[in-house]
Parts: sequence; C-alpha cells; structure tokens
Amino acid sequence: MSSKKKVITLRSSDGEIFEVEEAVALEWLTIKPLVESGCTDAIPLPQVTGNILAKVIEYCKKHIGASESEDRKILYELESWDADFIKVDQGTLFDLIRAADYLTIKTLFEFTCQTVADTIKHKTIEEVRHIFRESNDFTPEEEKEIRGKSWWLQGL
Amino acid sequence: MWSQLPGDLVGRIADHLPTATDLIRLRSVCSSWRSSLHLHLHLHRLRNNHRHHPTILPNDGISQSSWAFSLSSRTLFLLSPSPAVDAAATPWLVKFAHPHPSRLTLFNPFSRIPLPLPPNFPRVLDLTHIRVLELGREYVLHHVGLAGSVNPDAGSLYMEKVVLLPLDADSEFVLLTIHVSGKLAMFRTGNPRWGIIQDMPSPYDDVILYKGEFYAVDGTGRCVLVGVDMRLSLIAKSVFGGDKKYLVESLGELLLVDMYLSIDVDEDDEDGDDEEIAELAQHFDYIVAERTVRFRVYRLDRGSLRWVEVRDLRDRVLFLGDDCTFSASAGDLGMSTGNCIFFADNFFYPVLREDDGITKDREVGFYDMDTGSIGPLENYDGYSKLFWPPPDWITSGEFDVRNQ
Repeated sequence: MSSKKKVITLRSSDGEIFEVEEAVALEWLTIKPLVESGCTDAIPLPQVTGNILAKVIEYCKKHIGASESEDRKILYELESWDADFIKVDQGTLFDLIRAADYLTIKTLFEFTCQTVADTIKHKTIEEVRHIFRESNDFTPEEEKEIRGKSWWLQGL
Repeated sequence: MWSQLPGDLVGRIADHLPTATDLIRLRSVCSSWRSSLHLHLHLHRLRNNHRHHPTILPNDGISQSSWAFSLSSRTLFLLSPSPAVDAAATPWLVKFAHPHPSRLTLFNPFSRIPLPLPPNFPRVLDLTHIRVLELGREYVLHHVGLAGSVNPDAGSLYMEKVVLLPLDADSEFVLLTIHVSGKLAMFRTGNPRWGIIQDMPSPYDDVILYKGEFYAVDGTGRCVLVGVDMRLSLIAKSVFGGDKKYLVESLGELLLVDMYLSIDVDEDDEDGDDEEIAELAQHFDYIVAERTVRFRVYRLDRGSLRWVEVRDLRDRVLFLGDDCTFSASAGDLGMSTGNCIFFADNFFYPVLREDDGITKDREVGFYDMDTGSIGPLENYDGYSKLFWPPPDWITSGEFDVRNQ
C-alpha cells in the first residue's frame, strides 16, 4: 500500500473543484460505490454548492477518526468545535441538512437535525414561526386545534 | 425556505425532539410540516423514552423486600406567558406526573407529595402565547407489594436518584441509581436482574444523565463516566471539601455542587456564624445537629478533565432536588439576578413527624452565592411565589382556550 493518501476529486454544482482524502469520501454513502470503484474523474455533486461543500468537507475532516476516539479530551474538544462550526445562519443550516441527506453523511445529518431541534426549545409557537420565517398558513380550524392542545392532561 | 424541507427530513428532525411540547411547536410552524409529522408515531417514541406511566421492573439483585419495582417519571416545567402578552407575570415552576394517561398530578418541584389540583385549573392551555420550558425529568422507583398493587403516593422504596437513558431500540432503556451500599446499580431492559458495579473507592453521592451519557460522583467529588456496559472511566479527581455532592447541568456544562453542612470551619468564612447558629437553635424544639451552611460550585474543565471552582454563575440559577437537579436563567424565572441555588433542604428544620398529623416533606432552602446569605425559602420574599400557589394567570382562565 502506498504511504501517500489517495485523494478524491469532487465538483460542486457551481463548478468548484475540491479534493478530499479517500477515507473522508468513504463516509459519504452516496458516493462510496463510486470511490470504491476507483473512479479518478471529478465526481459531480449537482445538488451541493461550493460554499456548502467546503463546510461539509471541513466537518468531515475534523470528525474522521475523532468521533470514535476513546479519549474523553478529544471527544470534549470535538464537541466545542462542533458548537462553533454550527454557528451559521438559517439558510446555511438548511443547506447543510439537505447536503448531509443528499450525500448520506450520518454524523453531519444527525448533528444538523439536532441543531434545528434545539432551536425550538422554550419558545412560543409565534417565536418558532418567526425563527423559521414562516407565517401562519393554517386554516382557522387547524389554528384552533394548535392553540387548544391539552398537552398536560394527555400525559404526552 | 423551511416549509420546502422534504417531509421525511422534518420527521428526522422530530426524532431529535426531547418533549411532546417541542413536537407540538414543530408541527405548528407551517401546514406542510404539520402534515409531515404524524403525531401519534412521534408521541409513541416519546412515551417509550419518558416512561410517564408506570412500568414494572424486576428488583432482583438489589432488593428482596418486594417482588418488583414500578418505574414512573415526573417532569419539571417552567411556564410563563409570552413577554409580548404579559411581561410582568410571575412564571410558575411546577412538577407534573401522569399516574394514568388521563390524570394529572401536581407537585412542588422539590417534593414527592402530590398537591391538590387548584380550583379553576385550566384543562387546556393556549400554547401560542405560553412559553413552556421543560427543565428536567426525574424517575422514581416505587415498591410493588405482594398484592401487586402500586401505591404511587407511598414513599418510594429507593430514596436515591434514578437516571434513565433511552436506547435506540424501541422501548429499551438503561437505569442507573445508587445502591444502599453506596455502589452504583444498573438495570437494562431485557435483563432479569440489576447489576452492582463493585468499583467504589468512596460511596457515590449523585448520578446524572449528561449529554446522553451517565456520570456519577462520589462523596469526595471524584467523577466517573458510567458506560452502559457498566465500565467506569475516571473523568475528574476528587475535590473533597463539603459533605454532599450534586451534579447539575447548566448551559451544556457539567457542574459539581458541594453542599457544606453544620458549623462552617473554612477560614475564609466570615465571623459571627456560630452565634447565628446558636440563636437559630433556640427556636427549635431540639438541638439541630446539622444544617446546610453554604455551597461551592465547580465546573468540569473538559480540556484538562478537572473540577475548576466557579464563584459566579452569572444569571444561572441551580436547583438541587432529591430526585432531580436542573438549572434555569434568572431572566426566565422572573428573578432580577442569578448566581444562586434553590435546594431541597433536610437540615434547616427538624423533619415534621407524621404522628403530628403533618405529612413529612422537604423544606426548600435558598443560597445566594453573591452574599453567602442562606435560609429557608420563606425568608426570601418574592421567590416562594415561583412555586405555589399557581400564579393568577394560570387560574384566571386568561389562557384557557375554552373561554375564548
């Protein structure tokens, strides 16, 4: 086996070229078969823009090997790194979820979903709608049902 | 933008929601999200995770005095009207349990004894204008008698804290608690008996579920990570100092709170405490052997794996209960400043005897880290109204949807 790490070339929807180590690309289940087949051409990723792909690669490079570490210090350090990494605007978060889903990157997908889930804690429904910039598009009947959730008597 | 998120991805986000209230909020964002989220499917997962309704467990391995345990949970909520509606309203900190799916029981956050449901208690709340913060959840193991009946009002057999970790597989979970010997005891669904972890340099004081993993601390402050395979790994070494250690999570950090009992011997403490104690003791029927005098707080420094003392919690407020610890911001609690601790106090007063016709219950104490001031909650005007009775906005029907 060659000591030089094998590099995979990726092309974003806007034509940017990225190079990642094979070990990183193998974590992306969508392109894993192509990587394993020894493809040497740039792999086109028509659903991911260059700026998002750069973020995805940054995350995966940081996480490769580290997530499975037994060393607490490494795991704790990784958590603080993640917290900084995900301080992004709503548009970027939205694109990261879609990219992680499209590329089938389990760790990034779970992490981005968790981040969205965390943003809705301890808010009123109006505040949650404001965060996601959605106006109320419910019918009056549906709205009445939302307002009237008898959650505490139902033992939810 | 967000309403364009494919339905299956909305469902995957919902899988990460810890509470039913969060689920209702997510479903209320827009109609496409609402139609993507099958309420009953997700509620099924949450019910399995939360054990709201009693579940029968074996007790083999830790107790012979009954044939089984019943496991149930109680949830701590902080409720307040949205500031846009009523910025001056007092929030309400309350603990709920659901002994049956259709029955609600209220508790003081530090108590195990149910409170009567007040008159005019709303059955339905308008969640669009009420902020609901789930601060914590506690699990209790009750003794199940030979007749097979579960009496939820009877004291739990097991007086130590119980923490629960749901596993990925449907309905599976792991429990961690402290055995009467001071050792850690673990139960995993599917196993016929509890396991006792023999490794114990010093008896354990507290357990917590922190970021999806079990941690335990012993009386010296030595902290270990407890794997679901019952393996322990050392996280932080002892700090010694006080008499009882608590673990609390605050803003994602793991805190160690050290409770000091009895007469303070630390040299940097102010003079005059002894006289104060003597004066207090005169008011009691008998001499109080121990009382809570102060606390020290440490945070886990995750870089060096050490406890580092924290002198200022800023706007955070800590709550130390027998069955659960949690934290909140002073702002959310309607308090002007944080840096203080509410605690279930077993030491301020002699415990009321049941033969006096008064049910035994915990006193609540308050400690101000800024000034070192400590005492029963009643001494701190304004803070007791956080707990009981429910604030007017709850019972006035203002947010009861049926009245609209």
